[in-house]
Amino acid sequence: MILEMRNIQKQFDGLEVLKDISFDVDKGEVVSIIGPSGSGKSTLLRCATFLETIDGGEIRYMGGTAAHTDGSGHAVYVDQKELRRFRSYCGLVFQQFNLFPHYSILKNLTDAPIHVQGREKDEAEQTALELLTKMGIADKADAYPYQLSGGQQQRVAIARALAMRPKILFFDEPTSALDPELTGEVLKVIRQLAEEHMTMVVVTHEMPFAKAVSNRVIFMDGGVIVEQGDPKDVFENPQEERTKQFLRVFER
Amino acid sequence: MTLQTMLSTMSIGMLRTCGIFALTLIGSLPLGMVVALLKKSRFAVVRGIINVYISVIRGTPLMLQLLVWYFGPFYLFGANIGGWRFPALILGFVVNYAAYFAEIYRGGIESIPVSQYEAAQVLGYSKVQTFMRIILPQVVKRIMPSATNEVITLVKDTSLAFTLAYQEVFSLAKQISASQTSFMPFLVAGIFYFVANYGVEFAMSRIEKALDYYR
Ligand SMILES: Nc1ncnc2c1ncn2[C@@H]1O[C@H](COP(=O)(O)OP(=O)(O)O)[C@@H](O)[C@H]1O
Ligand SMILES: [Mg+2]
Repeated sequence: MILEMRNIQKQFDGLEVLKDISFDVDKGEVVSIIGPSGSGKSTLLRCATFLETIDGGEIRYMGGTAAHTDGSGHAVYVDQKELRRFRSYCGLVFQQFNLFPHYSILKNLTDAPIHVQGREKDEAEQTALELLTKMGIADKADAYPYQLSGGQQQRVAIARALAMRPKILFFDEPTSALDPELTGEVLKVIRQLAEEHMTMVVVTHEMPFAKAVSNRVIFMDGGVIVEQGDPKDVFENPQEERTKQFLRVFER
Repeated sequence: MTLQTMLSTMSIGMLRTCGIFALTLIGSLPLGMVVALLKKSRFAVVRGIINVYISVIRGTPLMLQLLVWYFGPFYLFGANIGGWRFPALILGFVVNYAAYFAEIYRGGIESIPVSQYEAAQVLGYSKVQTFMRIILPQVVKRIMPSATNEVITLVKDTSLAFTLAYQEVFSLAKQISASQTSFMPFLVAGIFYFVANYGVEFAMSRIEKALDYYR
């Protein structure tokens, strides 16, 4: 298992946002998370990528425990040094891209590999250029983020995450901030990564994409996993009433 | 007194003014950053001290602060303040301007979206790396207009050194004007300040242009 999330609980001042969520992600798996706005999808990704701390439960990466609930019922994390190792396993692509505006596209991709991972500059730049080529934006290496379209920026953000060679890549609604005509180019590169068996967890509202690309779909509502399974089953034959209701909205 | 001797006397004052200006910036630009960061300290005591410091500095005249720095050691501890004039002056300016720069930095730091910190954190940057590599460069760009204002104010504020009878260009102009019953020294001093600020604005706009490569 790349990732194991067990009985994850998360509150924001009294408001229970994640209520006992458990799921695993196996190597090479592509998991889509769907669900209405406010159901806790982003919070779940943020807990998995250590941007939020869980209140209870267990997070395991590559068989190692990053956080668990101790005897007193509180979630405890490993120390800073260990946590950095766990962080290096996961990448996150944000809805709003969050590129570094003062760095060129190339530097957005090489700065962390060089200064966080201590890789050689030449090697980091070569890797970056290969990734940009793969994303179809090699000609933008010397541009700055503000000079790119949203779709191009998001592809840079994906390349930036991949440059760190994560074991698993999380996407939080990667196309929601894009104009409709630009979503295709971003979905295409994610699909390409799926074909290469990159382990991914994608929060998305693009149902046809989720159905076509993922190995498993998780439907979340109100901080719980209502239903999960093979995309064909979940989309064509949902078992739970809430899932049916939610999917009906997308059928038109 | 010929115009030439007057100018040569005053040029010493101009150098001293430049000295106050340069030393104040060298001291207060970094100190202001330290203050801005301490203001966000985890410890309430530290934040409290910083808040008191900033409000005292901003709530009292710089002229008064300079007098306190200079005469304070004598009145409080009976210390011998011979030779203390210039250090007191620079200390007064640095501590004053650091408070103002701290507020400018703070505004700049707070204007950077949280998402930049989060992007850096997910990529594994340490706190120090995040600040130095990701946040600070963007802060510098954003605070340029207000920093320019502050630096221009400093050029003019150097004249407050006359309070401690330090003979920079303004004190000298006053003295020479009185002894020679001439208006000329004030005109010279005025032109000096104007030209100095022209230089400051030019330099700052060059820096702003240099930072224009991104948005
Ligand atoms: N930092 C926060 N502070 C307080 N409440 C939050 C915070 N982040 C998210 N929430 C709340 O948690 C719930 C789930 O949010 P989120 O995980 O963003 O849902 P989703 O991504 O599925 O739309 C929402 O009610 C939201 O208002
Ligand atoms: Mg969300």
